[in-house]
Amino acid sequence: MVLMMAPGGTEEMARAVLAEGADAVYIGVMGWSRRGAVFEMSDEQIRRLIDHAAAMGKEVRIVVNTMPSSTEVPMFIERVRQYAGWGAAGFMVSDIGCMRLLRDQVPEAQVHTSVGCGITNVEDVRFLAEQGATYVVLPYRLSVREIAEIRATTGVGIEVFLFKTPSGGKICPGKCMMSSYFSFKRELDEHGKDLFHGSAGRGGDCLRVCQSHWRLNAGGVSLLEDMTIKSNPALWLEELPAYLGAGVNCLKVPGRDRSVELVRDITRLYRRAVDLILSTDNPNLSPFAEPLATCRERWRTERGRRDVRLIGQAEQIARVMPKVA
Amino acid sequence: MFELSTDVPNLQALRGGDYDAFDALYLGDFSCPDYPKNFSSHPETLAEGVRIARDQGKRCYLRLYAVPSNHELDDVRRTIDAAMGLPFDAFEVHNMGLLRVLREMGCTKPLHLGVFGNLYTHETARVLKDYGVTRVYPNPELSLREIRYIKDETPIEVLVQVHGKIPLVISETCFIMENAHQGAETCSFFCSKSHWLTRSQGDWSLKDAGRMTLSGKDLCMIEHMDRLAEAGLEHFFVHGHGEERARVAAVGRAYRRVLNAIAGGEPCETQGLVEALSAFAEMGLCNGYYFESAGQHYVGRP
Repeated sequence: MVLMMAPGGTEEMARAVLAEGADAVYIGVMGWSRRGAVFEMSDEQIRRLIDHAAAMGKEVRIVVNTMPSSTEVPMFIERVRQYAGWGAAGFMVSDIGCMRLLRDQVPEAQVHTSVGCGITNVEDVRFLAEQGATYVVLPYRLSVREIAEIRATTGVGIEVFLFKTPSGGKICPGKCMMSSYFSFKRELDEHGKDLFHGSAGRGGDCLRVCQSHWRLNAGGVSLLEDMTIKSNPALWLEELPAYLGAGVNCLKVPGRDRSVELVRDITRLYRRAVDLILSTDNPNLSPFAEPLATCRERWRTERGRRDVRLIGQAEQIARVMPKVA
Repeated sequence: MFELSTDVPNLQALRGGDYDAFDALYLGDFSCPDYPKNFSSHPETLAEGVRIARDQGKRCYLRLYAVPSNHELDDVRRTIDAAMGLPFDAFEVHNMGLLRVLREMGCTKPLHLGVFGNLYTHETARVLKDYGVTRVYPNPELSLREIRYIKDETPIEVLVQVHGKIPLVISETCFIMENAHQGAETCSFFCSKSHWLTRSQGDWSLKDAGRMTLSGKDLCMIEHMDRLAEAGLEHFFVHGHGEERARVAAVGRAYRRVLNAIAGGEPCETQGLVEALSAFAEMGLCNGYYFESAGQHYVGRP
């Protein structure tokens, strides 16, 4: 069984991806997931979507992957117990303490480690399994052989994003604080949750400062001009048969902050590709090459627009100086 | 009463530096195994390193590589194996998997959680205590209020960075080699020269150390040390990665003077010290996230 999860950045998107064949939709809780509020859900929407998915024989998994304050942990537990009671099948979590509390207090829930856990090796996977993780997201750079070994030796479910960064480089998200270093705003919502705006790990959007225009110099000598600090991930497909053969059992379609139309088309493409791979030993994926290339280009365009918007927010917030403590 | 510590990457820096102001030394560069003769990846240097530090009367901690991949785990095991029989006071760990490795290897030394351990809550600190962690370095994004909560409610020792550039992001590969020296197959210690990332608009800066990106500005808490002490914090860290040794020594002396005054219940004028430390900071000073703002701001100053 391979679980294909797709994003529900909005209620319309959630319904669209379930209709296109996703087995589960993952949705962020307002103030508790690594996206801005417009791509997160209210409790009312979450309950409605859980009922909608259940009527289709499908699942909702809840993204609560921000790093909270210690004083917010009771609120975290209260929320996840509520969603589990409504029928949510699983949760995406980053904070290890919250993960263990979830394991102890909602033992029936599937627990996905978020990319924020920053796994780099098999011992990380074992550690997270001890805290209650049932699925782990592995870094892009692990080989198929390493994935197979981890699956075989740990027994933990393996989740992979259907987009990846082609090279190594900075570990993002999970161990990056560049956004909040330049631009960070703390404010409470109506439930008392700190939104930590500007922190990639704690709050809503990472403000993508790495995608601004940078110069690299050393000793007063300019080495590179007009560069970004980090490369961007791209949708991928070609290696999917090998990944599934290695035991990957959860696929995650990205795009919670993309357009409904793009995410619907991506979900449809991957549903067909996965069904083909699972139905034959030698799948011919060439018919997917052109639509995948089109999706990649649309993805790149939408990402560019989003980055400009977020960098603009970063600049705006950064201009506000803090008050004297 | 207080412990002031800093980091020392290798024997050369240990022998050539002036660490009189410091009570404890974190040996090794956790970000890059290729750093020349790095304590963290050169077990043959550990005995001499810990001897020199001990002879100077310092407590001595070993930093383990922060982001080991599967094929690097055995190298880290070799370092641990060599260090377990030496009089290190603790090992610093950033990677959760290494907590399991240390337990499996029968390590009984205290463990410190490093800055990239991503500690945000007291509940996580409680989990880590079960694995032998006795001291945590909370994520730099936490405010003083949050740090104090973790210290009191876990309860656990907390290490607080008080000066130097803030570690902001870590990499598994070298940014400087990948970008400024494309085609270079081996490390030629390019990061020995300071590399700066500056936004084209000129308003933001970062210091790149190859496998770790640091804040452009120097965190400086010298005029707030009394406040940290009042919060019950006792373990303070000066981040010296990539800085000249004389500068680290001067920073240490400034903080030692303030800590001695606080310990003695005496007033200490810090304005002159702020000015002196400001002269070292190419891109200016900041307070990090301690006062609930963006890391780059110095609260109360332009």
